[in-house]
Amino acid sequence: MATVIYSSQEQRLQKESNSGATGSRVSALLEQVRAARPAIDIERGKYFTESFKQTEGEKLILRWAKALYHYAANASVYIDDGQLIAGRIGKGIRYGVLYPELDGDILGEAIASIASRDTSPFDISEKDKGIIQNDIAPYWKGKTFHEALAKAIPADTKPLTYNNDEEFTSRFVVNETASFRSSIQWVHDYEKPLKIGFLGIRAEAKQALFALDEFNPVHNNENKPFLQAIILMADAIILWARRHAELARKKAAAETNQTRKAELLELAEICERVPAHPARTFHEAVQSQWFIQLFSRVEQKTGTIISNGRMDQYLYPYYKADLESGAITPNKAQELLECVWVSMAQYVDLYLSKAGGAFNEGYAHWEAVTVGGQTPDGQDATNDLTYLILKSKRDFPLNYPDLAARIHMRSPRRYLYDVAQTVKDGSGFPKLINDEEVVPLLLAKGARFDEAYDYAVSGCAEVRMPNKDTFTSPCAYVNFAAALELALYNGKMLKYGDEQLGLQTGELEDFQDFNSFLQAYLAQQKHLLKHAFIQQYHVNKLREHHFAAPLSSALNAVSVAAQRDIHTEFIPGGIDLGYYECIGYATVIDSLAAIKKLVFEEKTVTATQLKQALETNFENDELLRQRLLRTPAYGNDDPYADDFGKLIDKEAIAFTEGYCKTLGVRLDLRYVPFTSNVPFGKVISATPNGRFAWAPLSDGSSASQGSDKKGPAAILLSNFHTKNYDRSHRAARLLNIKFTPGSIAGKEGTQQLVNFIEGWRDLKLWHIQFNVINQETLLAAKKNPEQYRNLLVRIAGYSAYFCELSSDLQDDLISRTAHGAI
Amino acid sequence: MTDHEKTGYIFNIQHFSLHDGPGIRTNVFLKGCPLRCRWCCNPESHALLPEAAFDKSKCILCGACSLGAKEPAVRFEHGEKVIDRTALHANGERLALVCPTGAISLYGEQKSVGEILDEAERDAAFYSRGGGGITLSGGEPLFQAEFATAILREAKRRHIRTAIETCGHVPWETLREAAEHLDYVLYDIKSLNSVSHKEQTGVGNEQILENFRLLCEHFPALPKLVRTPVIPEFNEHEALEIKAFAESFPNVTFQALSYHTFGVKKYAMLGKTYTGYIKNTN
Repeated sequence: MATVIYSSQEQRLQKESNSGATGSRVSALLEQVRAARPAIDIERGKYFTESFKQTEGEKLILRWAKALYHYAANASVYIDDGQLIAGRIGKGIRYGVLYPELDGDILGEAIASIASRDTSPFDISEKDKGIIQNDIAPYWKGKTFHEALAKAIPADTKPLTYNNDEEFTSRFVVNETASFRSSIQWVHDYEKPLKIGFLGIRAEAKQALFALDEFNPVHNNENKPFLQAIILMADAIILWARRHAELARKKAAAETNQTRKAELLELAEICERVPAHPARTFHEAVQSQWFIQLFSRVEQKTGTIISNGRMDQYLYPYYKADLESGAITPNKAQELLECVWVSMAQYVDLYLSKAGGAFNEGYAHWEAVTVGGQTPDGQDATNDLTYLILKSKRDFPLNYPDLAARIHMRSPRRYLYDVAQTVKDGSGFPKLINDEEVVPLLLAKGARFDEAYDYAVSGCAEVRMPNKDTFTSPCAYVNFAAALELALYNGKMLKYGDEQLGLQTGELEDFQDFNSFLQAYLAQQKHLLKHAFIQQYHVNKLREHHFAAPLSSALNAVSVAAQRDIHTEFIPGGIDLGYYECIGYATVIDSLAAIKKLVFEEKTVTATQLKQALETNFENDELLRQRLLRTPAYGNDDPYADDFGKLIDKEAIAFTEGYCKTLGVRLDLRYVPFTSNVPFGKVISATPNGRFAWAPLSDGSSASQGSDKKGPAAILLSNFHTKNYDRSHRAARLLNIKFTPGSIAGKEGTQQLVNFIEGWRDLKLWHIQFNVINQETLLAAKKNPEQYRNLLVRIAGYSAYFCELSSDLQDDLISRTAHGAI
Repeated sequence: MTDHEKTGYIFNIQHFSLHDGPGIRTNVFLKGCPLRCRWCCNPESHALLPEAAFDKSKCILCGACSLGAKEPAVRFEHGEKVIDRTALHANGERLALVCPTGAISLYGEQKSVGEILDEAERDAAFYSRGGGGITLSGGEPLFQAEFATAILREAKRRHIRTAIETCGHVPWETLREAAEHLDYVLYDIKSLNSVSHKEQTGVGNEQILENFRLLCEHFPALPKLVRTPVIPEFNEHEALEIKAFAESFPNVTFQALSYHTFGVKKYAMLGKTYTGYIKNTN
């Protein structure tokens, strides 16, 4: 009999059954987080609403700064027992907060059912429900971005975007993501506040204020409020941090344990000092960074994708100095980092809309930490802190923050092996991002070398240049499988009955040859892209009227130089890099290949037979379904299928090449679905690749579930061969590879994983992430969730607890082929 | 005929192999074998020519295998899906083509050296790291000696690293010629006792051991991995002895392979009987 080999994560689960506790400080903190079900804290929503009621008619960025100040002065502050890092913004151990300016219109109804929904539920008290329903929600009715956007989207784009209901629920055809978060994934320049403190930032703004031309009307109306807002925001964050210092002193006074008392007094000193002043020690730098992170989450609903940036770079000088002076040990530094990781895990992104919840299942967050890569002048960037952060991921099984390792041609062997070892430990960390693809693309998109080399991974697979990027609008998700369905049914979808959603390109039976059908598909694809861009036009125009972000603006050099809020539609000196999303890539490729092969080449199935089978969800046609499943499929390095992939990609890129200039923003094609391949699949009937109706679509640029039969190298090669490397209007492709632990066991296994990673790097693929897990383990976890509460799996750009995923997504994960030992 | 055009019979090209030589490899499985090891996990490799097989777990009794006749090749009898072996034997190729689920499949196809290497070379991006390349496996790859050597020669022309998995039961001259184009050899030694070797594999071990000595003598720089599948009630007790024997030669490493029964199902599919050791588990 074969021996099943378990990953270290699986071994740990079996050994410890339900608890990851080892008795140490951070394990104890983590235990509390794990046991807690997320709850809603209303303070952020409450104080913002109170302030906004007082500032009607003022410049938006000033209103935002005032709201931040009102929050900073009044909101509860917290320091957890045992914590070495201060700050959380919710009363629960795991909490979500409210951003009514975004979608407050659906707040009332959503709150009523949020505790019982399938995906990502939250608890809330009856008293808080009352406050939301009486004080918060009514103020925002008619004022939210969500409503404004729904009103602005033209009549013929709307049926592809929203259902015809009061809440504007999503149709999952051309989906907007702008009304469930206030920003696209983002990275701050953390180095600046660590170096000069918010007093420094304040002083710069003050100086700039004096330098304005007092007679200039634009200066008076735009620049002046911007600078005033920066000053007020700096005051706010400093005040808020010092309230933590006060709390620490109060706690210290009441503390009987002398060790803890000393810790609290030290923490009080640190919070008194940062982020107002420059950080002097590693502890101060970490605390300062966390205050900034957390205050960002007060500022706006970021989708928790205000990423942590290149932590091993900007924190390294403090770590190095402390090590040299003997002020810190690597263990102590690791503990501090882990204190921050736990704090990050406590915050849970609260999505009110069902679409938002379904996009981000398992309470996803995206505040990626980037390690490795290259320095701005193109040298290898790894240092001791890089290795310490990797080690922390191995030692400490927590899914937050997400960890991204940049890989380049000269990445040291030690780094590659450490990364491979961390991957093998089974939690899916880190994901890898390829400098050899990203850096040249950023150059082609208008960055300088130093800016491109210094990119940080952001959100689940994207990247940002913290002092160059200026486009913050969330973007459209386009269901390419819907285009396929529209081509099969003359512009209609089974889900939406008689509505003419697409072009009238004819029924499948009408096509005389395959090429005519292919052209019909491409016309439908273009039709959806047309509406995606129309949608985006309105998103881009509207956002600056609904959102401002003085903190994020102060931490972006372009925004500061132009003295314009970061959400302003165009800021001179920046690069506007957006994207749109292709959902269902492999589903479409495989379907086109199946139709070509069986209907038009072999002619063993007629178009009528195929359509009947699809319409009845293969009810009496299992035989046909089996034949469809065996036609050439993407993910097997088979040009028959992959050529369609390249064509779809090319046509989609051609569209954005043609029209992004008119928008003034690069909308580059990407394949990064989060978990949205599940909800997008729920509107797509049976497809010609043998997929049943309403089942998940293929995920990112991965193969259709179960149809990759030639192993992981072939999946990478299919990706390689379907990319249009001669085009620059492309962005991330998310690629999931599942390994069983046995296939990469032992030292040799690590070596092979390194070989594989190097092959991936040489192919210039953008992203890769691994699930190292036994299918048996997943099945067992689905059956007995209680015993597998700690089981982390990699989903899209992130890892989540398997047992918190919906049953659909669990099945999707189980059905993805596990690449066993060969 | 150039090496490029030479053809032979293979039954699989397996991409992304991690355990058949250094690095990431593409395995080419050649058909035909002079041995009949009782525990063999690749019964589809034994015969030189293509063979049809039937996997009843994939069969949905659709009837497509009637090939226009009245009766399908697969019938449902006494709650079991049963295939007409005579029909399968006679019309294997056509049946495999019409079967929608792949329940009837054909092991083996004729391919040219050029076709094989073109397909293998698609994986070249993975070869360049960790010393990867192609591995000839089987069956016994040198059972089709001329074809196998042509693949190796052509691979070297293309600067692809090569390895072979061999049982060693071939004429020395064949092995010698292949070794000229090899970077790595995985050499099976199953037993040092010729009598039990013959009983378990159908042949004695004299040629195998002699070839191994010659290989070490003539190609001392060629790295060799001696592998012994450890079979209960056959060579368990000998494993250490074989290891000592192997390692008495320079540039040789040893690996014991644990016994598994993954191939058992394939015997049933081919209408053959598994004669290997089956452990009583559970």
